[in-house]
This record gives sequence, structure tokens and C-alpha cells, in this order.
Amino acid sequence: MKILCDRTALQEAVNVVSSVVPAKTTKPILHNFLVRSSDNGITLFATDLEMAARVELDSVKVSKKGSVLLPARETGALLRELSDPTVTLESTDQRCRIESGGGNFVLLGEDPAQFPDEAKVKGGKRIEIEVGRMLRMIQETAFAAAREETRYAINGVLLDASAGTVRMVATDGRRLAISYATVPTKAECKVVVPLRALNTLARALSEGSKETLSIEVGDKQIVFVTGKAQLVSQLLETRFPDYEGVVPKSADTTVEITRAVLEGALRRSSVLCSSDMRVVRFEIGEQSLRMTADNSSRGRADVTIDAVVKGSGGSINFNPDYILEALRVCQLDTIRLDMSDDSMPAKFTLGEAFTYIVMPISGA
Amino acid sequence: MIRKLPPEVVNQIAAGEVVERPSSVVKELVENALDAGARRIRVELRAGGAEAIVVIDDGDGFLPEDLPLAFASHATSKLQGVADLDHIGSLGFRGEALASIGAVARCRILSRRHDAQEGWEVRCEGGVETSPQPCGAPAGTRMEVRDLFFNVPARRRFLKSASAERARIQELIAELSLARLDVDFTLVGDDREILRLPRDESLAQRFARCFGEELAKGLLPVSRAFDGMKVEGLVAEPDLARRDGKLELMFVNGRLARESSSLHAVRQAFREYLMGGRFPIYALQVALPPDQVDVNIHPRKAEVRFVEARMVAGRLHETVRAALLGRLGLPMAAGGVVIAPDMPRARSGFPQLPPSLFGDAVLPPPPPSAAGAEPYVVREPVAAPAPAFARGAAASTPPVVSRLNPFQRVTGRYLQVMDLYLLLEGQDGLMVVDQHALHERVMYEQLRQQHAARAVQSQRLLVPTVVEVTPAELAWFEAAQEALQQEGLHVAPFGPGAIAVHAVPTVLARLDARKLVRSLVVGDETAGMAPVREALADRFHSMACRSAVMSGDRLNDAEIQQLLVDAARLEHPHNCPHGRPTVLTFTGPELERYFRRRC
Repeated sequence: MKILCDRTALQEAVNVVSSVVPAKTTKPILHNFLVRSSDNGITLFATDLEMAARVELDSVKVSKKGSVLLPARETGALLRELSDPTVTLESTDQRCRIESGGGNFVLLGEDPAQFPDEAKVKGGKRIEIEVGRMLRMIQETAFAAAREETRYAINGVLLDASAGTVRMVATDGRRLAISYATVPTKAECKVVVPLRALNTLARALSEGSKETLSIEVGDKQIVFVTGKAQLVSQLLETRFPDYEGVVPKSADTTVEITRAVLEGALRRSSVLCSSDMRVVRFEIGEQSLRMTADNSSRGRADVTIDAVVKGSGGSINFNPDYILEALRVCQLDTIRLDMSDDSMPAKFTLGEAFTYIVMPISGA
Repeated sequence: MIRKLPPEVVNQIAAGEVVERPSSVVKELVENALDAGARRIRVELRAGGAEAIVVIDDGDGFLPEDLPLAFASHATSKLQGVADLDHIGSLGFRGEALASIGAVARCRILSRRHDAQEGWEVRCEGGVETSPQPCGAPAGTRMEVRDLFFNVPARRRFLKSASAERARIQELIAELSLARLDVDFTLVGDDREILRLPRDESLAQRFARCFGEELAKGLLPVSRAFDGMKVEGLVAEPDLARRDGKLELMFVNGRLARESSSLHAVRQAFREYLMGGRFPIYALQVALPPDQVDVNIHPRKAEVRFVEARMVAGRLHETVRAALLGRLGLPMAAGGVVIAPDMPRARSGFPQLPPSLFGDAVLPPPPPSAAGAEPYVVREPVAAPAPAFARGAAASTPPVVSRLNPFQRVTGRYLQVMDLYLLLEGQDGLMVVDQHALHERVMYEQLRQQHAARAVQSQRLLVPTVVEVTPAELAWFEAAQEALQQEGLHVAPFGPGAIAVHAVPTVLARLDARKLVRSLVVGDETAGMAPVREALADRFHSMACRSAVMSGDRLNDAEIQQLLVDAARLEHPHNCPHGRPTVLTFTGPELERYFRRRC
């Protein structure tokens, strides 16, 4: 194989496929990505057997067709360091020579025939959504998903499409984030996408983009396609908790607060939560919200901010980190809190299509 | 065809439950002697007891009219009716021991009552008894058991070597003797005296004589009285712990017996002082009203049950824990005067710390010293009540040497070496301290105290986590539900075979609720909230480990001084929370011996 291509374009493509290359694996061949050339361009492909990324590149001059496996980390780092606008890749057997600006580098690959094949998705349902909207939905939910490996059940984000609406839901059992969008298609599905796949996808999506992301949901896999890049992931075969039952239908008290004010005040009071017991007490006053934190060995915090209060008031305890994490991705100026007492879930409205439920902390 | 077995066969089968090896024979015979009120018991063995076991006592002796029934099964003088089973005061009561032994050996009883002129002899071979014959005999009873299992070849083949059987018997007599300090025990093996335990010595003396003199310096007296229950005895310093549980000795109303929740409770009290795989050493006498104890659940009476198992376990835990804390000069609810020597001063010619540094750090301020410059402090329990197991003779608890927090007595000179160890001069000698282990213990105790000072709070779960459990575990959770809730874990039964977790303690909120619950049920069925506390302790330990100074951290003088000040206030400075030692002490004599200054 011998090709001449634009360095920046190649580097970007390598970055996209490298995002699925595993850092640690018992199958060393997975540290590589596959380059396959055809008449009018090349395809880059990498996988960790749970997900796979594929990018097509057409700004390439192919002088000899073929395929080669290249070590992902070294190739990416080398392309970053080169300065010429173009690079030449030439492979014989399992060696690949890279020529650029008078430099000569040889990368030792492995046998392309040993590399896993791309999976084909059969009978998928297709959903089309704007790239910028999809990115927002990932940002608004992924932070709430459980991180621990053991909680396989909710170690992913639910993708629930029905009647022209796509909902993404994530929870770790203590809080739950729901973000939704209306889409033109009528496809129906309810699948759990691994968190890692969504994080990888988010890295490839650009904020506010009006391009179309096409999602194809199969029985076992899901495929995201945007432009020339494609990401395939296995789905998690688990039951997701019934999220609709968790959303409180009514509330005793409604509080409206300026987001930036709340975030600042909550950050300041959470400084004085002890590291092992993160609790901030919310006391709803007359048109005010008072936040107190108490760390018996370090000090106390007491902050009061203005709020628009409707209802009976009262008090409730939260883990401030749960709220701060959500505020970080919130874009509304004024947010709303619907709450009852310290045994009932509290609901935060953090966007036109972004709802966040947090379980309070109760005393003994 | 179903046939009723002949009585000899029945007795041989029954014998298997009671008589397993020579030590079981010795146990039954010594207990009989104790029940007969003996003050002096002599056990003689041949070939580890396989050839002959002779037990001689100076007890009441048999009534001549009882002798024909001596080897009959279910015949006893210790019990008369069913009502007596509720308040068993004697060690034996089943009336099966002699019958069982008689069925599998050649036995001879020689007995004379103190007020009688002549003694009587009766023999029994393989269950066939001769009629009593008058003969001359010393007062008391002499039981001879020869050729054990002569008619049960299978059993005979399973006997261990003579020395192994003898060792087991020695252990057994030692264990039994601890409950009866007023009795003189002698064990003779093949004409050689193996063990001699004179009458009326103290429990600590006897314990050390039986199980090794090196234990003597680390035994702490324990004595607590509760409403309707009394605990007395000894616990050994945690660093004497063994790799097996052989010296976890509990006597219930004078009977050596195990009870699972109490065993667990005492181990729990030792838990954070012991490395994994180590077992504590103790001898505890628990006195309870006889109707609170069921001894009749095990043929060899090795296990008992308590009506109020949870209460007994809780009190034992409290007692042992208080003793372990008490030895460091910390306030203890009952018993013990603590005398701490004055803070030593650095000798001239060496850098001297500002006097305030350690002066105000030591808590509480040392009371007037009666022990002078003694490195060890002698503690005597205040008005120790006479131990319940001293029947007749009042054996008083001896003064027991106890160790103080060694960091309260450092001279103030120190040196950090290898960026890991601190060399200190303490009053006992040269101390080598693992800075990480010691700091870990400091952080751990701070976290625990902070936690104890604040209200329990629970992170509620959005959707209850359902955990499948076995019926036994379900019963445990139902029983412990309230206790768990007090620690912040809200669980409720969820249909048959599952429980739902509604809220978890906030401190443990980061853990997976399912894992947390699964780790709880491995605890003992009566342990209640203790497993939650263990989970908390583990969490604090990992937090402490992360925030403690590491090996390789170079400490400046101020940091070392602060660490030593903090260490001087520790409840348990000798081990890190997982039981690794924090300090190694080379005493003056040890160093002198090494440098051949003395031999």
C-alpha cells in the first residue's frame, strides 16, 4: 500500500478512531487501528470489541492499494509532531514507512488479517437528530450515570424513543437526569447505551452544530453516523429502572432561583461539608433560600439568597455535589425546584427539555 | 425386619457420641471428680491414655448402694426430675458418661466415702459390670480406664499418637483448671509429672503456668457486674494473639463452653487491634442465672445457648472493649486505678524540646506518681469482687502489669531515617516507629470521633435497591431492621426472599447499596448494627490510609513533633487500623545483650 494524504485530515481521523482504542487490553492487537485503501480513499477502523469507530477519508492519493495495521498511540503522536502539510505512507509486509519533510519513520504493525471485523447492524431503526442537540442531551445526562463498574445495570444511559420524542435518562440510584428532544421520525426503541460510547461520541460532536446525526438501533448494537465517521457500540442488556414512576407529580413548595446565584452560594457553602459526609441543608424562607453546612471539625457555612417561593416552605438536605454537577451543564438563567419533604424526591427544572431529580438526605 | 438392638450395641453407639478419644474420657472423669467436690485431682496416663487413664480424687466417693448403678446408662445422682434441667448446677447431668466409657473399655472404680470404714470396688468390661466387692481404699474415688476401645477396633485405629493425645489432655486439664482455682491438679504421663497446678494460685498465675510464662506480662484483669450477669477473667494484650482460636476460653457458670454470638462479640471487641488471621487470647468466666443458659444442646456440652444471647454478647463486647481501652490509662467505667509516671525530661547534652511541647500535649495530666520511674504501671482493680469460680477459697485477682501509651513517655529526641521510620528514645528503650502506620491510626481515630459526634444521616435511594437473600438472612434483617436504621441503613422485607434498601448511611453513600447489604449478612445473626459499624470503620480506614503521610515523605521537625503529640493521645497506639504494628521497641537490656555488655 502506498498513499499520499493531507496530514491534518489524517491526524483528525486517527484521533477519532483512537478514542476507542483500549488503554489496557489482554489482546495487544487492539492497540492498533486498521488502514484500508480503495480506489478513491482510505478507511480507518479501530475497536475494543465493545465498540468500534470507522472514519472515511477521501483527500487521499492512492498509488497502491492494500491495508495495514498501525499502532494507534505512536501513529497519533507522530502525526502531531510532523510539520509538513502532507505525509506519505508506504507499507510492505507489516512495516509502514512514513515520510514527511525529510524525516523517515518506520512503524511496526501487525497482520491486518488478524484484526477483528466490523460488525454489521441488521434491521435497525433509524432516528435522525441534530448533532448539537444530541451533544446537549449527552451532556445533560451522562454526568448522572453510575460510574462504579459493579453497577452494570445503570452504567449506561437510556435512549427512549417514542412518538416523535427521544428521551435520554441517566441515574445512579440517588439522582436522575432526563433530557429530551423532538425528532421527525416515528421510530420506537428503548435501549441502554454504555456511558463510554456516549463519552466517545460526545468528543466527536461539535457544539451547536446543525449537521445531522443518524442513529441506527439494532438488537444488540447501536450505530451513530455523522458525516464520514461512524461509531458502533454494543448495547447493555439490562433493565433500566422505571424512570417515569420516580418523577414527582406534585410538590408542596416551588422555588425559583437565579442559577448563577445558586451555583455560587452552593459552592461556597459546600466548602464546609466534610469530605465523607456531603450535606447542605436547604431552608425555604419567605422569598429566600438559606443554605447551611456544618463540618464539626472545620467550621460552618450559612448563606441566604433571594428566591421566588410558592407553597408551604420547609427544609430539605441534599448532597451539594449532585446539584453542582447538574448546574454545571445547565444553560437556563432561572431554575425551578419543586420539593415536598426529606423523604420525597425533589425535582429541578434546569432547561426547557432538562429535568433533574435528586433524592434528599434524611436524618435518622 | 426391624429388631431392637441389644443394650451392649446401644451403649457402644451412644459411647461414640461422648467418648471419642482419651481426652473425652479424661474430661468426663475430671468433671465427675469436680462434681464430687474434690479439692485435689490427679490424672495418670499411659501411652497418651490409650493403655490407661487413672483419675484419682479426694471427693465424696460413691455411696456403696449407688455402685451397682454406676455403669448403667441414664443413671445419675446429679439430677432427679425434669424441673432440675432448668437450673443445672453440676458439670455432668446426663448420666451417660460412665455408661459410655464402660461400654468401650476395661474400667475399675475404687471408692471410699470419708465417713466409711471400708471402700468398695466395682469393675466393668465392655459394658458388663461385676457386682461391688468390699476392699481397702483411700478416701475419695480412683477411676481406672484401661485398653480404651479394646472392643471397637475402628475407633482404636483413629487414635492419634500417644504424644498428640497426651498434649490434648494436657490442654484440656489446663482449660478445666482455669474455672477451679481452688482445686489442685496434677497430670502424670508415663510416670513423669507433666503439669502441676497448686491450689489457690491466681488466675493469671495459673493461666501463665498452663499456657506459657511469656503470656504473664500481658494479661489484663476483667471484672464487671451487670444486672443478673457477671463477667470476670483475663484478656491478653492483642499483640500476644495466636494464629488459632485455641485460647479463646469462655466458662459459662464454671463450664467450659462456646456460644457463637458471644465468641463473635469478643472477637469484634478485639477486631481493630488484631491483624487478619489472628485470634485473641482470653479466659472469661460468665456467671448467669442457670435458667438463662441451656447446656443441654450438645452431647459433650461443648456448646451452650443463652436465652438473651444478644444481651450477653453486647455486655461481653463492652467488658472486653473497656479492658482494652482501660489498659492505656483511658477512663473505664468500672475498676482500675491508673497511675502514670511523670513526663521524663531530656537529659542534658542533647537538644531539648521546649518544655511546653509535650507538657500540654499529654492528656490527661499525669496524677501524682506512685510508681516512680517504673516503666510499667501496676494497676489493681478497686475492691475486686471474689471471682465466681473460686468455690470456697477466695482467690484474689493479682496485680497485673499493663502497658501505657508509649508515646506519652518519649523523651523528645527523635530522628527520621529512610524517610519512613522515626527513631525515638522512649522510657522503655529505643523505639522505631513506622510513620505511615502511626499517622494512619491518628487519622482513623480522628475520623471516628468526628463521626461519633454528629447525627446519623441517610442518603435516600431513588428506586429501592432490591437484594435477594436467603430465608435465614431475611430473618436476620427483620430482627436487625431497627438497629440498622439507627445507623442510617433503611431496609424492609420485600416479598419472600428479598429485601429492599430505601436509604444508606450518607458516609457510605458512594458504595453500591447491594454490595453494602451483601457484606452485612455475613455477620453473625445476633450482631445487629455491628456490621454497619464495621463497614464504617473500613471506610474510615481507607480514608485515613489515603490522607496519612506516606513512606518516602520527608517530615520536618514540626511535623514529627505534631505526630508524636497526636500519638500520645491515641486510644490504641500500638497498631494501625488493620493491625500492622506502629512501633517496635528495643529495650535497654535487649541492646545490652546484643552488644555483649551482658549475657
